[in-house]
Amino acid sequence: MERRQPDLVLIVARSFATKLATPTLIADARGDLVYFNDAAAEVIGRSYLDVGTLPASRWQELFRPRTFDEEPLKVEQTPSGVALLERRPVRGSFAFRGLDGREREITVTAFPLLSRPDELVGVMSIFWELPPTP
Amino acid sequence: MIVRVWGARGSLAAPGPATVGYGGNTSCVELELGDGTTLILDAGSGIRELGQRLLEREHGELHICLTHLHLDHVEGLGFFAPLWRAGWKLRFWGPPSTTATLRERVSRYLSPPLFPIGLSEAPAEAVFEDVPHEPWRIGSAVVEARAVEHRGPTLGYRIEDEGAVFTYLPDHEPYLTASLDDEPQWISGWALAAGADLLFHDSQYTEDEYPHRRGWGHSSVADAATFARTAEVRRLAMFHHDPGRSDRELETLYDRVAEIVRHDQEPPLIAREGLEIRLGAGDGAAPAGLGTRTDRGA
Repeated sequence: MERRQPDLVLIVARSFATKLATPTLIADARGDLVYFNDAAAEVIGRSYLDVGTLPASRWQELFRPRTFDEEPLKVEQTPSGVALLERRPVRGSFAFRGLDGREREITVTAFPLLSRPDELVGVMSIFWELPPTP
Repeated sequence: MIVRVWGARGSLAAPGPATVGYGGNTSCVELELGDGTTLILDAGSGIRELGQRLLEREHGELHICLTHLHLDHVEGLGFFAPLWRAGWKLRFWGPPSTTATLRERVSRYLSPPLFPIGLSEAPAEAVFEDVPHEPWRIGSAVVEARAVEHRGPTLGYRIEDEGAVFTYLPDHEPYLTASLDDEPQWISGWALAAGADLLFHDSQYTEDEYPHRRGWGHSSVADAATFARTAEVRRLAMFHHDPGRSDRELETLYDRVAEIVRHDQEPPLIAREGLEIRLGAGDGAAPAGLGTRTDRGA
């Protein structure tokens, strides 16, 4: 029997996210998207049950993140990417295309999930959709 | 390996006529490994009697794996005879902390004013280590420890010896982490229990009690049985009995557990002081490694 399992910190973070009414996304230590909650699904444009786990390599092509000046953002420049690669909390705003094709602008607070001081197990990103600019 | 129960009660020792059948001592389980190594899981009040038994042999080295440091899991240490005899070496394993060493944390209990004598006065050699991140070897066994859902830093253990697996999750509330009958990789403790021959699991509450105690770190008997079913363990033993639970009440809860476990699982057990189970090689009587039960106590 294959016994691979995420660290408890990631398990508990995911459980926490399932209970939150705030859009929340969980990525593992590789940057793969392993969960987003129902509130996040409203912003992302599809449910997690429909999408499933998304490898980090597909974020760019699926969401097309960019600055408000239409400059493309690499995934590592997004708040989730910074929290993962630099292991620090970060807040930022950017635009992206939802999986339903609708353009959105969001503000994200992302922070690394550490199970021990030297062990990163993932990233939690909480975000808010910005109201459309008039 | 041989699994011996010296204490199966949770939270508080509960001696008395109503608990004499399953015992009132708090968590302590002895594993006699295939190569003769003694591995002890938790140091609740049950470890006192185990210590007396150990004095019958030549002094030597003992491994004591602590799941966590709540009092019911360490309260017997001050009365564990080998700690107070020169010549014994006690190697403690426990959960890591970012704020204090394991020795410092155990010493908070084994020091005045909570205890009259300090740990530093113990004649035995006591070594304290955080559990390794990866599985490691103790005697002939491979031991794996992982953080599991409970109040405060808490470990579960998976011990593989002589081709059999024993999993110990005495304080565990997996219900808080995910639905217990699907997505097993998101259920706390699942990887430790998956496919185990024998699982000792927290069974503290009734289904009626649990909604009022959710988040306290323990499981209902129904959740314990569902967890065991999902993890496909061969046999579940109810463990960490509520201190207010009488022998008769435990047997009523057993019926509920037996309803939930899968038909291809061995019948569940109620862990009790004196229970002895042989797992793996050396037990020719039982198929595929699961041993027979020998009633030594009560």
